[in-house]
Formats: sequence, C-alpha cells, structure tokens
Amino acid sequence: MKAKPSFRRRHRQEIQAYAYLWPALLMLGALMLYPLAQVVRMSFYEVSLQREIWVGLGNYAQLLSTALFWQTLWQTLLFTAGSVALHLAIGLALALLLHARINVRFRDFMRGLLIIPWLFAPTVAGMIWVLMLAPFGVANGFLASIGLLSPEATINWLGSPETSLLSVTAMNVWRAFPFFMVMLLAGLQAIPEELYEAADIDGATGLGKFWYITLPGLRGVIATIVLLDSIWTFRAFDPVYVMTGGGPMNSSEVLATAIYFDAFQKLKFGYASAEAVVMFLILFVVSAVYVRRAVREIG
Amino acid sequence: MRARRRAAHAAIYAILIVVTLIMLFPVAWMLTVSVRPNVEVMKIPPDWIPAVFTLDAYVKVLSSGRYLRTFANTYFVALAVTLLSLFIGAMAAYALARFRFRGQRVVLMFLITTQMFPLVLLCIPYFRMVVKIGLYDTLISLIVVYVTFTLPFCVLMLRSYFAQIPKDMEEAAMVDGCSRVGAIVRTLLPMSYPALIGAGLYTFLLAWNEFLFAVVLIEAWDKRVITMAVYSLLAEFVTEWSMMMAFSVLASAPLVIAFIFLQRYMVRGMTAGAITS
Repeated sequence: MKAKPSFRRRHRQEIQAYAYLWPALLMLGALMLYPLAQVVRMSFYEVSLQREIWVGLGNYAQLLSTALFWQTLWQTLLFTAGSVALHLAIGLALALLLHARINVRFRDFMRGLLIIPWLFAPTVAGMIWVLMLAPFGVANGFLASIGLLSPEATINWLGSPETSLLSVTAMNVWRAFPFFMVMLLAGLQAIPEELYEAADIDGATGLGKFWYITLPGLRGVIATIVLLDSIWTFRAFDPVYVMTGGGPMNSSEVLATAIYFDAFQKLKFGYASAEAVVMFLILFVVSAVYVRRAVREIG
Repeated sequence: MRARRRAAHAAIYAILIVVTLIMLFPVAWMLTVSVRPNVEVMKIPPDWIPAVFTLDAYVKVLSSGRYLRTFANTYFVALAVTLLSLFIGAMAAYALARFRFRGQRVVLMFLITTQMFPLVLLCIPYFRMVVKIGLYDTLISLIVVYVTFTLPFCVLMLRSYFAQIPKDMEEAAMVDGCSRVGAIVRTLLPMSYPALIGAGLYTFLLAWNEFLFAVVLIEAWDKRVITMAVYSLLAEFVTEWSMMMAFSVLASAPLVIAFIFLQRYMVRGMTAGAITS
C-alpha cells in the first residue's frame, strides 16, 4: 500500500507560494486590515485624546441626522460626477484626434505633452490654479480682456460659495484627463482595422462607424476607467484641502476633507471614524463591481 | 475628395496644437510667474509677458536650507518606497504568477480591493499607532505608510508581466543547478525590466506627489516633504507667489524630466494601473 505523501509534499505549492507572499501579506494585513478594524471599533465610541466612551450607534445616528453630512455627500457626488464626465469627454475627444492617421512622431510628441498635467502633484496643481483663479489672477484677467467681465468686478472663484466647488472640479479635470486620454487611445488602437474597412465597403458614414464600431469596441475600457476614476475622485483629499479647505461655509467640502477636519481639527475621532466607515461602505459597494470583473478577467 | 481629406487632416493637426497650447497654459503660467518679482504678480490686469525678468524667486528657494531639505527628504522617501515596493511586490507577484495554491483568488481579490481604500480612513488609526510607537514625525513612518498603498499596484502589475514569461526559463536555470531564487534573479528579472521600470516610476510618482499622510504624520520642518512645503507657502496675508511657482517648477521638474526620457515606461505603468490583466 502506498504511503500518503507527506504534508510537505501535498502542500508544496502552498508552502512555496506563501514563502514569497508573506512580506506583502504581513504589511498589508498590519497596515490595512488592522487599522480598518480599529476605525470600525472607534466608530462606536466617543473618542478623544484622553478617554473613550461607548456610544453604540450614537455616532452614526448623529451623522445621518446632520444636514452638513448630507450636503458634504452631495457635493462629493457632484465633484465626482463632474470630474469623471469631463475626464471622459476630453479624454475621448483627444484620443480620437490622436488616433487619426497622423504622423506617428507628431502623435507621440503631442501625447507626451498632453500627459504633463497628470505628472503634477494634486497639491502643486492646486497651487497653480489658486494663483490663476485669484481675484487678481489670469482667469479674471482673461475674462476681462474679452469683455465678459468689467475690470472693476472680479469673480472670487475660490472664495464664493457658488463657484468654489466648480473651481476645484476644474482643476481636477485638468490634472487627471490624461489618464483617460491614454487609456482610450490604447483602446482605440486595439480595435481591428478590418471592422472599419468592412463598414466602408458597406458605405457607412463616419458617425455610423463611430456609433456601431468605435463605441462598442471601447465599452470595456470605458467601464473600467470610469469605475476607477469615480473611486479615486470620490476619495480625493488634496485638491479640495489645498485650494479651499472645504470652501467658504463648507460649500466645497467633500467627505475626505470632512473626515480629516472632524478628526484632526475638532478632535472628534469617534465621529470621524463613523464618517469614514460610511465612506468606506459606499466605496466598497462600488468597487465590488470592479473587483469582481477584474478577478474574472485574470481568472 | 482628396482635397477634403487633406483639409480634414490639416484641421486635426491644428486642433491638436491649439488644444495642447490650452492644456499647457497653466504650466506656462507657472513658469512665467516664477521669473517675476512678487509685486508684479498681483498687478491688475495681469501681464501676459513679464515686464520685469528676475531669477530672484529661484535664488530664494535654492538658498533656503529649509526648502532644500524638503527636496532631500522627498527624494529619500520616494526612493526608499520604490525600492521596498518593487522588492516585496516582485516576491508576491512571483508567487501569484508561478504557483497554483489555495487562497490564490482571495489574495488577488484582497490586493485589488486595497487599491480602493479611502486613504483618509487610514490616517486616523495611523496617527494613533504612530504616536503610540513613538514614530511620529519621522520619515520612516512615511516610508512604511506609503508602501502600503503602492504595494498592491506593484504586485498586480508585475504579476501580469511575470505570467507572460514562460516558466521554462527558470526551470532550465534550475536544472542547471541554480536555486529558485538564483533562477529568478538570473532569468526572470532581467527579462522583466520594462515592467519593473514602469512600476518603479509610477510608484516613485505616487510617493513624490503624496500629501495627506505627509501632513498627518509629520510636523517638524526638517522632516517635511515638498508637497507640504509648497502648500505652506500659501501664507495668510501676502503670499510669495513667484517663490511658490519657482518651488513648484523645481518640485515638478524631476518628474517631467524622467517622463521625457522614460515616457514609454510611464505610460505602461499608467495603463497597468487600470488593466491588471
């Protein structure tokens, strides 16, 4: 009778694999899972630097009944939707232009130039835009020079509740559109030429080709990058913090900055933790869609 | 018909050039402001071309030990983070690419999910942990923290690249007497340099541009990084705009230069950030 192979032999693949995996898993477990557990725990307490008091769901109840929370959530959604939509529009337009039958050197050169905004730190980009949008800045100067603004009246882009969120969104659109442009260009290049040639033989118009070949061909890429960008923008902190700090009277507050201020300015760690958990849950639901698709693709 | 196509072509070139000029305007503005005296910056209406040209702002930045220190700090942190991420990430990527084992799917899902974490959530427990351990206000805490969110990306990107390289390479080396590690170092890694450079550059970029954790975990000026330094130039009453722009130019220049020479790899890293397969 053959002896059963040793534990070592049966689980050879596992042992080898985890021998290589353990540093990464240890780091991520200690620095992601453990802190997450801590935050969840803290959300049930009223936490200050000296003591902790159990409040059960008190923080959550307070959170959901505070108008400011819902306003912040709404603004975060506006910021995200606006950014992603414009990223897609600009990225797609530029990708289509770059995909045209133009000199390859020219295309690579232009693509390179157009990626530059993406290289800037959100903080640095924010500072440049603060300068441009200042009352004395170029934005107002330009509007005045084309007659849309009288020289005495200046728009306080970042200091008025009506325009603060819009201004931050504009900066974010400028900084991150290259990602969409590059991804969509790669997606366009992956669509087989033959499809267009066949359509030409059948006498298809430019618009028809775009609608029935290009867009469907880009569907996968668009779904992926829209999902990713939505997640990244929803959790964004730097642009809002450095440009408006939440804006005059919380008009440009987003969830990330609200959590930061509640924790580190108002020192309401428990309340901020509850806020963070809610934000995490929202993101988790959205990202679950992406995760499932991604894992299925990898197989 | 020919003529119409040629006109369309010319139009595309023209549109691309105009759009690029528009998109690069903020960058150009940053440059022109950095070479003006500060008083000129706040003139109404603004001068499109600087009336007075001066490198004063740059001199101020480069002769300030405080600001130069932030450059050194940022280089150090970004480099350390990149090396650590690539090393730990390559190990994990190898395991996921070469072995079939129980828990593989879970690990993969875990890695992809961690890329979606709201980082703000982590800064609360990190702050408490770091203070308790006594690592508050140290660059080490920054390095460790940054690696947590650059690591998943490195693992996933390297994994998909490794998976495309046939196993036979390492197996041949092992038959010849190499240990597995030796085989990896001698066959797999040299062949993976595009992915390693791409992941490395992207990681470096992330670490260089990070702001939130730098603000939460660092206090003292001699430990600050450039993103914090740039923001701190936004003063309450009179901001030194030309100095801030000069600093921004110097802070962004390394990345832009690296990009010019290594564009291909950076783009690869960028696209791999989305498509993990």
